[in-house]
Order: sequence, then C-alpha cells, then structure tokens
Amino acid sequence: MRRKTVAVRILATLVAGATLLGLGACGSKSGETQQAAAGNQILFGGDSGSPTFTRNFNPFSTSKRIGINFIYEPLEVVNSLDGTSTPFLASGHKIVDPKTVEFQIRDGVKWSDGKPFSAQDVVFTFNLVKKDAAMDSLGVWQHISSLEASGSKVTFHFKDNDVPAVSIVSQQNIVPEHIWKDVKDPLKWTNENPVGTGPYKLGTFKPNQYTLAKNKDYWQAEKVAADTIVLPASNKQLDLVNKKYDWAYSFINNVDKTWVGADKQHNHYWFPPGGTVSLYPNLTKAPFSDVNFRKGLSYALDRDKIAKDAEEGYVDGATQTGLILPNHDKWVNDSIPNKGKVSQDDAQSLEYFAKAGYKKQGDQLVDSNGKQLEVNITVPSGYTDWLRGVQTMQGQLTKLGIAVKLTQPQPAAYTQAQNNGDYDLLISSFGGTGSVFQDYNGLLNSEFAVPVGQSANANFERYKNPKADELLAQLKQAADEKSQKAIVDQLQQIVYDDVPVIGLFYGGLWGLFSTRNYTGWPSEDDPYTAPSTWTQSVLMVVTHIKKA
Amino acid sequence: MKGRHVRYFFGKIGLFFVTLWAAITVNFILPRMMPGSPADAAIAKLSQNGPVTPEVRASIEAQLGMPQGNLFSQYWQYLGDVVHLNFGVSYSNFPQNVSDLVGAALPWTLTLVGLVTIISFIIGTALGALMAWRRGTAVDVTGTISSSFLSAFPSFWLALMLLFFLGYKAGIFPTSGAYSSTAIPNFSMDFISDAVEHSILPALTILLTSLGSYVMGMRNTMINTLGDDYVTFAEANGLRQRTVMLKYAARNALLPNLTSFGLVLGGVVGGSLLVEQVFNYPGVGLLLYQAVTNQDYPLMQAIFLMITISVLVANFIVDILYGVLDPRTRR
Repeated sequence: MRRKTVAVRILATLVAGATLLGLGACGSKSGETQQAAAGNQILFGGDSGSPTFTRNFNPFSTSKRIGINFIYEPLEVVNSLDGTSTPFLASGHKIVDPKTVEFQIRDGVKWSDGKPFSAQDVVFTFNLVKKDAAMDSLGVWQHISSLEASGSKVTFHFKDNDVPAVSIVSQQNIVPEHIWKDVKDPLKWTNENPVGTGPYKLGTFKPNQYTLAKNKDYWQAEKVAADTIVLPASNKQLDLVNKKYDWAYSFINNVDKTWVGADKQHNHYWFPPGGTVSLYPNLTKAPFSDVNFRKGLSYALDRDKIAKDAEEGYVDGATQTGLILPNHDKWVNDSIPNKGKVSQDDAQSLEYFAKAGYKKQGDQLVDSNGKQLEVNITVPSGYTDWLRGVQTMQGQLTKLGIAVKLTQPQPAAYTQAQNNGDYDLLISSFGGTGSVFQDYNGLLNSEFAVPVGQSANANFERYKNPKADELLAQLKQAADEKSQKAIVDQLQQIVYDDVPVIGLFYGGLWGLFSTRNYTGWPSEDDPYTAPSTWTQSVLMVVTHIKKA
Repeated sequence: MKGRHVRYFFGKIGLFFVTLWAAITVNFILPRMMPGSPADAAIAKLSQNGPVTPEVRASIEAQLGMPQGNLFSQYWQYLGDVVHLNFGVSYSNFPQNVSDLVGAALPWTLTLVGLVTIISFIIGTALGALMAWRRGTAVDVTGTISSSFLSAFPSFWLALMLLFFLGYKAGIFPTSGAYSSTAIPNFSMDFISDAVEHSILPALTILLTSLGSYVMGMRNTMINTLGDDYVTFAEANGLRQRTVMLKYAARNALLPNLTSFGLVLGGVVGGSLLVEQVFNYPGVGLLLYQAVTNQDYPLMQAIFLMITISVLVANFIVDILYGVLDPRTRR
C-alpha cells in the first residue's frame, strides 16, 4: 500500500514538473531574434562550429576559425574572379625580371598589440612556413629560392622565371615575428588571442558565437564602417533568413523566394562563376583515352540545360576552352567559334563516336561486337546540385543510346577515387584562382599526373601533352599581358581540340547580402571581389561597405 | 546451490569481458574500413565551396595524413590508449583533445535524451496500464490509435515539422543550438532557463516518438497479465480496483518494459543523432555525425566505444538483475 502511494506521488510530481517547464518556456519570448544586427554590426554567416567553436586562430591550421581572414593581412589581396590585386601590407611591387620581384612594404602599420610591423615580419613568416610543408598551403616554397629584406623592401628570388609566383607569394598571411618566434609547435598552437595587422581584432569568444571588434589603429581605419562582426556557430538556412543576416554564403533553393522574398527591399544575392564543373574522363583508360570518344560525349550534351537543372538557372553552361566567362573575357581566343561554347549536336556526336568505333544500332550505341556502350559517372553523394545536373546529362546520353550508371560515394571516398584515378567518368571542378596560369596549370600540367593508384593533387584526368607543358612553362616566363595572351590563346585551343575534360557549367559563388545596415557589397555591377566568405576577399568587403 | 550462484555470476562477468574485447576490436577495425582518409574528407568539405588548389590539397594531406605505423602497431597502441582512456587528438577539431570534445557534448545529451527517456518511460507505462485496465473504452481506442500513429513517425520528420511550424513560422521556440548564441554555459538561473527553452522542441520530438512503444508494450503485456489467475483471484477476493490494477497486474506487466527501458538508457549516451542534427543540438549524436562525415577516426572510436560500453554495462546489469529476480535463469 505504502509503496504504491510513493510511486504515484513521484509520477504526479514529474508530470507536473514537465508541464511547468513547458508552460514557463512558452511564456518567455525567444531571445534569438533579438540579435538581428543592432547598432553598428554585421551578422556574418561565414564560420560554422562543429557544432560549437574551437578557439583556434592559427592561420596555418586546417581547423582554424574563418575569422582569421579579418585579423591577418597578406601583402596583396588577389581577386579570384579576374586575378587583379589590391595592395595591403605591401604598398606595391615591381617585377625586376621574371625571376625576381620586389615588394615595397607599407609604412606606419602596427600590430594590434601596438608593436610596429616591418619587412622583417614578412621575411620571418615566409621562413616559418618553409619549415613544414603542412603550413605552406599556398605552396610558396615551390616557387621561392630565397628572399631578403632591406629597409622597407622585401625581394623574392624565384627558382625559375616565374611571373605567376608574384601573385602566389603576395597572398601569404603575415604573422608577427615577436609572437611567433617563441612558438614551439606552430602547427598545433591554437593562438587563442590573435595579434594581426588587419581591420578587426578578436572581440568576445563564446562556444556558440564570437565577435570581431574593429581595430581602431588599423592603417586604413577610416575605410572600415562596421564596429563589430558577429559570427554565430550555427548558420542554418532557416537562421540566415529568420535572424536577418547581413552577409552569408549559401546555395539556397529558389533564392528569389526564400532569401529575397523575406525582405524584398534589402536582400540581394550575387552568384558569379567561381570554377568550371566538368566531366573528367579517366585518360588512362579506353575508350576515354580516345579524343574522338570525348568529342562524341561533348557534342551529346546540352550544357545550358544541364546548368539550368543543376543550379536553377543562376549560372551558365561552360565553354570548352577552360576559361571562366565573363571573368576571363579579356583572355578569350577570338578564332575559336562561339567563345568556345559547344552546342549540342547529335549528328556531330554520332560522327565522332563512329570514329571511336561506336555505331548506332536501333536505339543503342554499340561497339564492334554489338555490345551497348555503357559508362559509369562518379558524383559525390550529398552534392545535390551536381547530382541534378548529372541526371539531366544522363538523360541526354541515354537518348543517344548510351547506358549511363551513376556511382555516388561519400565525399571522402569520392575525393579518394578522384585523387587515385579510380573512376571512368567523374564530376569535379577546376579553376577559380583568378590566375589563368594557375587554372591551366592545375588542369593540364603533366607534373601532377602521377600513375593511377597514387594520389594526385591536380590534373585528376591525368592529361599528358608535351605541347601544353611547354606552353605553361612559357606562360610562367611571360611578363607582359600581350605575350601572355598569345600563349593563353594556344592553351584554349588545346583544351578545345583535345578535350582533356568536358566543361559542363560554372560553379557559382553563392553570396547573400542585405543592404538593411550596410551598402556597397560586391555585385555584378561592382565586382571588386568575389563573394567568398572564407578567403582574404573579406578584407576587400569590409573596406568597401558603407553604413546604410 | 551456492556454487551454482557463483558460477552464474562469474560466467556472466567472463562473458562481459569477452564481449567488451570484441567490441573494442570491431571499433578499431570498422572506421578503417571506410573508404577515404581524414584529409580526403577535409578536402571534400572545402571543395564544396569551389575548386581547391593543388597546394592547399598538399598542405591538408601533410597535416591530416593517415595514422603512422602498420595496422598491428596501431592496434596495439590503440589498446593501450583505451586502457588509459586516452583517445588522442581530434582530426576535425585539430588540435582539440577527443576527451574534451566528448566531455563537452555528453552533459547536453545526458540531460536532454536521458531525462526525456525517463519521462517518456513513466508517462508511457502509466498510460499503457490505464488503457489495458479500461480496454475497449474510448481511452483505450484513442490511446492505441494515437500511439501507433506517433511511433510510426520518423523522428527527423517530426523534428523538421516542429522546427518549421513552432520555430520558424510561429517563432515561439528557438530553432537551433542548446542555448542562445551569446550565452556562456554556467549554472545561473538565466542560463538554465535559456537552455530549457532551447531544449523544448528536441525534447518534444524525442518524447512523442518514443512514447508509443512504451504505451503499446505496457498495454499488451498488461492485458495478458489481467487474464492471469492471480488477478482474477485478487478481484474475487474483493480487493480495491486500484490495488488490483497497480499492485497485481501493472507490477508484473512492468518487467518487459523495464528491460527495454534499461537497454534504451544504455544507449542514451549515443544521443539522438537525427534529432540533434535537425536542431543543431551540441550533443554526442551530432558530434558522432560530424566525426563520421569528417573521417575523424579518434573521435569516432571514442564515441562508439562509449556507446558500446554503456550498452554492454546496461546489458550486464539487466542480466544480473534477471538472475536475482527470476531464479529460473540461473540454471
């Protein structure tokens, strides 16, 4: 008897407690929406916790906070769309000869702890990343042979004639010697209180959110409009709209309705192309090693339709020259028809397939033994936009009589398959550095084409062409734009004729902006930088925007 | 008689350690059978934003390369680390210690999932008993229909619906996280009420989707018990209805439900992966999801191990309890 009463009481208390909890919470107003940019601040959706933030402001670490890009500065910021650069810690540079460049280091710059910044810090930083390849994410030491400072000048000597190296070394984030010289293991150090030269310092740090506070002593402080940047750890798409973000990066479905529709007056987006999503044939395997076969595939595809289905019409179908248009408009080779964009042409396609040994038989494309042509396309699972594009492509190829199979590994397994050359056809992307040399180098340089089974870092299709290598070597040495253009013209011709990869559509950079609090965001009319939120381009943005 | 007891318990303990060793070993092998390395995962994550330059790829591979040594020496090292509860450094949150990450996530999961599981068990069992007692009435019919309906709901779907309607459309509840973005975890009243507010939608999801099985389990067993002779005997003796219902029928019908409750409690440390994922709730489930997608072997191993050990311990306790409660199992 006694025991039962106790049990009933406990139950009653629990139920009552649970009800009270529920009621109490319903009564109080959700505190989250209150943070919608009050005062002089930017709500920035560019850094996501996993799920909370680790306090790691080491610019050399793979798991660093994105906020370091507001804190540290490079010599110059390179626009990843067109390759133009803007001086930051260097006030300018002079190419002495294709092997030597001199950077003039800016005067009067201070570290955020008050110590003066000098050319010595630049030299120190470069020597620091030399110690460990893991810290050299720009690969600057693949180009530099030595560097030295004299007064406020830093001179780089390159291993070879190497003009593109100028923009590569100029992007190195510079760290203060007086702090980093005492760091024992610079790769593992979490640098909890970062000292940089940039427009912002670390404000408050909490596991769910941190803030960046304006550096009052910044050398161009008058150009920095926002006092605070707020970076929440959770930036789900619902939050971007609901909490009224000022600046974010996200591919939102139906952006006109979901993002713009939430605040028609202020919410904008800009999705410039930032890479070429392409169909990579495995050139070490037949029939993909046959250029006629690749051309057959190329003419079978309606690129604009694929682009539209994949990215909801926000990007265009790609050219077959390897350039990204309109970013690279000034490089276009005018002798290639239609700026290199290939239109769907079934008759042409069948003609090339016939040359490769495949004939139409009924509604099937068959080889000499009468067996239907079957191809396997690898696309990473979870990349829903790419998958939609591939499904459209699958339809177009099936119509031509080709049996298409899709393999969808997990992203990590996909990366492994791509690096090791373990595929027939694979969807991947290239380009987007802003430098035509770097874009073509990663796509074509046979130096990257390690044997299948070994891990490649670029040229995943494993293209080998001595002519292309020779042109790349020439492009490295060409100092003026006119001679560069002549070489880039030939590289375009090679990609167009030889089809090392089949360009499909441009990968967009999904920049979301609100003009509620600030104006002057990068846009199609004013493309001063790419809308990428995880790169140095944020320095350009925060020095351009104005209070609304 | 005494010797048989001892043999039973020693047998159980021996079996526990063999299972533990097997689990620890599987835990070592399984993550390594996944294709791709931590570096591949990090590169894949980066390349979702755009093409990754060969130089960045090379530096990531240098930072997050494959573990050192051959498989056997890795295994030996791993066994030693497990004994010392040293799980090393996380790949995806480099250079954070795995134990710190798990330690930060565990309290959220234990409070949310643990508390809700207990509440769900109590409410579900009570409701099931009541329905069985009044079987055939309106209470029973509505209860049966709604609990089979609720338990058929996928938890992530219910979570998304609650999130969309109560969080996004109505704006009554926060949509993500375990506390406001500006808050620092502490034991002040302000923070606790903030955390409670953030936990309501995930708690509601887990409660609604887990309730049904307890209700139905209890109802069905109790209907069986109600037909047993001793219940009829108690009724014939003229005992009060409540006494018959709670002390005679419900108490005996409780055993199977208690077993499944014990096992579920063992799994609580694993968190509720889908629900935590939808609400971005910083518990063990979300941590595990991120460890798996980032090929973070050390973190995965630590979490899997924690889950396996607690399930094993729960199993062991249930085994021992059965031995105590039901003498027949000891034979």
